[in-house]
Amino acid sequence: MPEITGYAFPNDIHVHWSLMIVMYPYITGFVAGSFIVTALYHLFGKNEFQPVARLSLAASFCFLLVAGLPLQLHLGHPERGLFVMITPNFTSAMAGFGILYSFYLMIVMLEVWFVWRGEIIQTARRSRGLKRAFYAALALGTYDTSPQALEIDHRAVKVLSAIGLPSACMLHGYVGFIFGGIKANPWWSTPLMPVIFLCSAAVSGIALLILVYQVTAKLGRRVIQADTVSAMARWLWFFLIITVTLELLEIIMLAYENSEEWHIISPLLTTRLQFSFISMQMIIGSLIPFILLFIVTVMNRYLHEKVRNTLTVMASLLLLLQVFSMRWNVVIGGQLLSKSFRGLRSAYEPHLFEREGILVAIVLFVLPFVILYVFDRLLPIEAPPGAHAPDPHGDAPPAAGVSPAA
Amino acid sequence: MEHARHVFRVLLVLLLVIVVVIVGRSFLVPKSFGMYGNYRYDNVPEQMAARPPLHGGARSCADCHDERSAVLAKGSHARVSCEVCHGPLGRHVKDGDVVAKMAIDRSPRLCGNCHRKIDGRPPKFPQVVFEKHVEGGLGPKGCLDCHDAHSPKL
Repeated sequence: MPEITGYAFPNDIHVHWSLMIVMYPYITGFVAGSFIVTALYHLFGKNEFQPVARLSLAASFCFLLVAGLPLQLHLGHPERGLFVMITPNFTSAMAGFGILYSFYLMIVMLEVWFVWRGEIIQTARRSRGLKRAFYAALALGTYDTSPQALEIDHRAVKVLSAIGLPSACMLHGYVGFIFGGIKANPWWSTPLMPVIFLCSAAVSGIALLILVYQVTAKLGRRVIQADTVSAMARWLWFFLIITVTLELLEIIMLAYENSEEWHIISPLLTTRLQFSFISMQMIIGSLIPFILLFIVTVMNRYLHEKVRNTLTVMASLLLLLQVFSMRWNVVIGGQLLSKSFRGLRSAYEPHLFEREGILVAIVLFVLPFVILYVFDRLLPIEAPPGAHAPDPHGDAPPAAGVSPAA
Repeated sequence: MEHARHVFRVLLVLLLVIVVVIVGRSFLVPKSFGMYGNYRYDNVPEQMAARPPLHGGARSCADCHDERSAVLAKGSHARVSCEVCHGPLGRHVKDGDVVAKMAIDRSPRLCGNCHRKIDGRPPKFPQVVFEKHVEGGLGPKGCLDCHDAHSPKL
C-alpha cells in the first residue's frame, strides 16, 4: 500500500495513469518534433537540414505508427480503443485523438509517398516478380519521373508540409490539452500545458534526430555534415530555452501567487519529485545541456568537429532524459497529490514485468527504430547520389552525407 | 496536367479510403447509438432483460408475514425495508411460490453495518462502539440478547 502523508481521500491513492501514459506523450512528442525538422527544410528552406529531412519524415512516420500503442496497452479492454474513432464522445478530450491522429497519419503517409516516389518507381523498374508488383502497386501504376512530374511532387511536399506542421502541433498540443484541461488538478490545469508539451516535443524530436543522424552516419561510414549538426544544435538550444522558460514560469507563477495549490505542489516537487524534477528535469536534463549547447552555438567556429559532435550527442542524450522526466513529472506527479490538496501518496514505482511495466515501455521505445529499419529496407532513407530528390528551393543542396564537412 | 496523373491517382486512393472508412463506420456503429446520448440505447433493455429484479419491496413481504410487518411498522425500524436485513425477495419466493428458506443473519456484523460508530455518521443516529457497549462484551446471541431486530428500542 502507498504511504500517505497528510490527508488523502481513499480514491486518491491509486496512480491510474501509469508508465504507459508517460510513454504516450513521450512518443507522440517525437512524432511532432521530427516533423518540425522536416518542415524546417521543406517549408522554411533551411538547407542545412537537407541531410536529415528524409530521416526526420521517416522517423515521424515510424513513431506515429507506435503512438497509439501505449494507450491500447493501458486500456483494460484494448479492443474498445477503436471506439474513439468510430463513436467519439466529444465531451471527452480523448475524442480528439481519433480525428487528429487519423488526419495527421494521412498527411504523413502522403508526404512520404511524394518524397520517395522517384525511388519507388526506380526500384519498380529495376525489379522483377513480386518485388516489382509491390513497388508498382506503391507507385500506383504511374511511372512518370519527368522533371515536370518531380516538380509537382516537390510542390505537393511543400503543401503537405504546410498542412502537416499545424497538424503535428495540434496532435501534440492536444496531448497537453488533455492534462491542461483537468481543472481539478492544479499541477495540470494551466493553459501553458499544451505549449510546454509542444516545445518539449520539438526538443525531444530534434535531440533524437541528432542522435539517429550521427549514429546512422557512423554506421554507414558517411561524413557527418558540420552545418547540419550546428544548425540542429542551434534549434535545439532555442527550443530548450523556450521549454525550460515556460516550465519554470508555470512554477514561479504558482509560487508567487502562493495560493492553496502551492502548498501541496511545493512539497510535491521537493519531496516526491525531488529526484525526477529537480535533479533530472532541471539540473541534469536542462542546465547541463543548456551549457553544452551554449558552447556549441556560441563557440561553434572554434570547435573541432569531433568536439561539436560529442557535445551535441551528450546534450541530446540528456535532453531525451529531460523530456522523459518532464512527462513523468506531469503524468505521475499529478497523481501523487490528493484532490483535497492536503496529502501526498508515496512515489509510484512501475514493475519490470507487467502490462504497463518498464520492459513494455522499453519495447515501445525500441519498436519505432525497428520499424524505421524496415522502412529503410523498403524505402532507403539515405538518398542515393543522383537520385530524383526534389529540390525544394531551386538551389541544389549537397547530396546527403557525401560532401565533406564544411 | 499530363504529368499530374500520379497526383490524381493518389487523390483517388485517398477518396477510396475515406469512402471505405465512412461505409465501414456505418456498419460498425450500432443502430440505436445516439438515440438518447453517446451510447447504444439497446444496451438498456438488454441489461434489464439480463437482470430481472430480485427485490419485491416491504409490501410483498407483508402479504405472508403480516404479524412481523405490524411489529416492524410500530418500531424504530419502521422505515427500514425487510430486504435491507433479510436480502432480496427473489431468493425466497419466485412466481408466488416459496423456493428457499430465507437466510437470516443474526450476527452483530449486520447490525454494525448501520450502527457501528463511525465519525462520518450524523451524531444523533444511534451508533455504538461494540467493545464498549456491553460490559464484558456481547453475549452469545450478539445484539439480539437485548434487542428485537424488528423493534429494537428497549
